[in-house]
Amino acid sequence: MSSQEDVSQDRWGVAHVYASFNNTVITVTDLTGAETIAKSSGGTVVKQNRDEASPYAAMQMAEVVAEEVQAAGLKGLHVKVRGPGGNLQKSPGPGAQATIRALARAGLEIGRIEDVTPIPHDGTRAPKNSGF
Amino acid sequence: MRVAVTGTPGTGKTTATALLAEREGFDHQVVHLNDLVREYDLVESTDAERDSLVVDLDAVRAHLATAYDDDADLLVESHLAHLLPTDRVVVLRAHPVTVRERLVDRGESEASATENAASAEPPPALARKARENAESEALDVILSAAVDRHGADAVHEVDTTDRDPTAVADAIAAVVAGERDPAVGVVEFSDYLVGEGAPGFAPMESGPDADGGGDGG
Ligand SMILES: Nc1ncnc2c1ncn2[C@@H]1O[C@H](COP(=O)(O)OP(=O)(O)O)[C@@H](O)[C@H]1O
Ligand SMILES: [Mg+2]
Repeated sequence: MSSQEDVSQDRWGVAHVYASFNNTVITVTDLTGAETIAKSSGGTVVKQNRDEASPYAAMQMAEVVAEEVQAAGLKGLHVKVRGPGGNLQKSPGPGAQATIRALARAGLEIGRIEDVTPIPHDGTRAPKNSGF
Repeated sequence: MRVAVTGTPGTGKTTATALLAEREGFDHQVVHLNDLVREYDLVESTDAERDSLVVDLDAVRAHLATAYDDDADLLVESHLAHLLPTDRVVVLRAHPVTVRERLVDRGESEASATENAASAEPPPALARKARENAESEALDVILSAAVDRHGADAVHEVDTTDRDPTAVADAIAAVVAGERDPAVGVVEFSDYLVGEGAPGFAPMESGPDADGGGDGG
């Protein structure tokens, strides 16, 4: 799993997809997380605030991100999805799914997909599958 | 009527609802769910990693159904309150940086009440709890769950970032009295997800070449 910066043809990165109620944010880093290769937020591709969390915005962002990532020499991405995923949607929402599909369509290999949505806790927490 | 006061830990639910419980003329009975869960052992397992009890929600529902009449005026306060039957939901919000600061301060003052451990850094378990809850808040995790379950028409977001506890209590009382319109999507905290201290990756300044040009290509 150690990052081999020089072997550009085989480089993999991590796409962090943050799908909140109001927005989708995509950040691509190297495998260690230290280097940011690309980032995009819903606000950069749609005009209306309420569209920032839409699958359409996620798809537009993912296309631009995929180009930047390929230009940086990455051939594949692992995907970490965080968040409930946009207006009125169940986890992980269509923003996340649209992102992954668009990254794959642009020719990037997709490795592990993990849902790493944080769990609110305060000495107590909800059981899994309870709506978080 | 039943009203749920939910929100990420650190948004100020317990503080604001405790003020309401003492308020002259406030007729709803305040139930602090965290206390109830411990008192009646409404627990299905423990999460050692998060030092948390995993709540048995069916047991909580059954307990509330037997302890209170269906039409009792209840204000149920917990970050799980939106997972229970309710007529209205108040979702308290606070900027993730504020959530983190409040939780660290609260944790340290609780610790110093029992011992004299004043160090510059919060203990790792507290730091992790503050970080995970801040991230949950940035991702609107509880707001989304509340809207999924109860619909946007039943949900009232209240931003507490720059409101003192009395003003937060006033806002909750206004929801209970039916004097406040439903509101969702009133805060936008996704800046926290790409900024410094963002979860999931190291601070961007620490990367030697943050824009990925140069060496990589
Ligand atoms: N409106 C507020 N403004 C500033 N600090 C607050 C506010 N509400 C609560 N706090 C402080 O933040 C911490 C967390 O509040 P608490 O009521 O325990 O939150 P919760 O019950 O939502 O987890 C406490 O130390 C409390 O004193
Ligand atoms: Mg509390």
